[in-house]
Amino acid sequence: MITQQNKARIVEAFVGEYASGKSEIAINRALELKGLNHQVTLVDLDTVEPFYTLRPLKALLEGKGLNVISYTREDSFGLGETGAMLNPAARWALMNKGDIILDIGYGIHGAKTLNLVEGAYESSELRIIAVINYTRPMTNSPEKVREYLLELGRLDGIIANTHLGNQTTLDVIVKGNNEILRVANELNIPVDYMGIDKTMYEEISDYKFEIPVKFIERYMVNAMW
Amino acid sequence: MQKVIGESKKAFITGNEAVAWATLAAGADIMFGYPITPQNEIMHYWTRLAPKYGRGFLQTEDEISAGFTVCGAVQGGKKAFTATAGPGNVLMQEPFGMAEAMRLPVVGIIQQRGGPSSGTVIYSQQEVTLTTFGGNGEGHRIVYSTSTHQEMYDYTIKAFNTAWKYRFPTFILGDGYQAKMREPLEMYNPEERGIDLVKPFPLLGLEGNIGTDREPQHLVNIYSLEEELYDVVMRVSKEYESIAPEIVEYEENLCEDADVIILTHGVVSRAADDAVKALRAQGIKAGSFRPITLRPFPRQGLLDVLAKTNAKKLLIAESAYGQLDKLVKQEIFGEQIEIENLFMPGVGIIDYHIISKIKSIL
Repeated sequence: MITQQNKARIVEAFVGEYASGKSEIAINRALELKGLNHQVTLVDLDTVEPFYTLRPLKALLEGKGLNVISYTREDSFGLGETGAMLNPAARWALMNKGDIILDIGYGIHGAKTLNLVEGAYESSELRIIAVINYTRPMTNSPEKVREYLLELGRLDGIIANTHLGNQTTLDVIVKGNNEILRVANELNIPVDYMGIDKTMYEEISDYKFEIPVKFIERYMVNAMW
Repeated sequence: MQKVIGESKKAFITGNEAVAWATLAAGADIMFGYPITPQNEIMHYWTRLAPKYGRGFLQTEDEISAGFTVCGAVQGGKKAFTATAGPGNVLMQEPFGMAEAMRLPVVGIIQQRGGPSSGTVIYSQQEVTLTTFGGNGEGHRIVYSTSTHQEMYDYTIKAFNTAWKYRFPTFILGDGYQAKMREPLEMYNPEERGIDLVKPFPLLGLEGNIGTDREPQHLVNIYSLEEELYDVVMRVSKEYESIAPEIVEYEENLCEDADVIILTHGVVSRAADDAVKALRAQGIKAGSFRPITLRPFPRQGLLDVLAKTNAKKLLIAESAYGQLDKLVKQEIFGEQIEIENLFMPGVGIIDYHIISKIKSIL
């Protein structure tokens, strides 16, 4: 029974270019699963600059029923840059029951950061998913997307997350995500879905997208550290 | 030069990346640097991008060395720059002083963090005094305080032109918020916007014989006679003051009929703009003034505003304990307007803080 439950659980690690939307996608995914009555642990794995993460949102997200593994301001108060250490609870995150969503910060090292998580590479449940925003300068052409995806190493899926913040338009989304889809097809990496800001709901309602759309609630805008 | 920005298009970008792309677009040849938060991604992105465009990078053993290697490279005729913050900015004051002494077109990007000492890695506006008047000299340098990603991009390009045209060390003064914040930005190749990029030139090893073909290049940072130093400092001061009117930049907004003027710089001026809108909507006549160049300071611009305004009060708001306040007061000494302060060292200021303060003083 326990084994079955473990097998059925969802373990996802979001990787991708710095500022591509990993934290936002991870938060939304965790809350989506919570909404399905799953037990969910959200892990903040930004070890490079842990001051610029979902940390300020920890209490808010816990209030929504997530188990959040992340330091709080109080945990690191007075530690200065020594506060930038790996949270032991993050190292053993996969031992938690239920679904695990890992937000892998900073981007350059991709899934390599998972070496910090016990059992990650051996896990048969883990899916490593790249978040790509086509308006980011390092991934704003098909060649750059291809080069970037190949640099990341193992990938089990992609989320097309093209947007321009408050200046996002349907045109920006369609053009960018189509290019991501094309490259993903070439590389035989499945695109799980598109992340689109839910404030765009009306504007895009008539458009037929090739892949599923998930509407994203923006939480990170309130993560003023 | 290889085109840096393929087709001019909007990008979703952090301030540090905006700087890295702008230095490329400005034709910078090489960056020397030593890692420190919150400027790290300037270095990270430069090191990812530079090889693709044939540019150079050297990580030095510390900030002192990073500053001096920039001093060396510009003497060799290379557009060189560095980026730092907080205690790194402190260490770089020695090489920045050399750049003042030898009139070297050094460019530095400063992303302020909390102080004193290592302070915080997050944000502040506490490097105003250091960046404008640091070192054991007279502050012969040019400092642009930006407030948006577009400005970080535009003024980084401009900084190289200013430095090489006037041969004073030139700085972009940003902060941790601007460094990390994400905004849409339109990047462009400066030549396509009609911006001529000043061509760098070697300051040493010049052609011809000294005395017959050309004057000697006196690149000197030490003198054996006090009188010699005196002559040089007085001459440079005069030159600095004479070019200042060409360099100063500022913004003013709705000051003429205002009852109160909010004076801020950098990212805090965005809060001031929001506060002016909100206060006016509530029937309180507020205006704002923002120096873009903190050094040289837009003294005449501010005096002109004070001469035409009805305002009886000037609120100076900053994420520091009076560094902007001190700069302003020394420039407008003798003016009668009453000065109020909102000092929040090391923490962010939003419109709400300014609005509450204004309501408490009117």
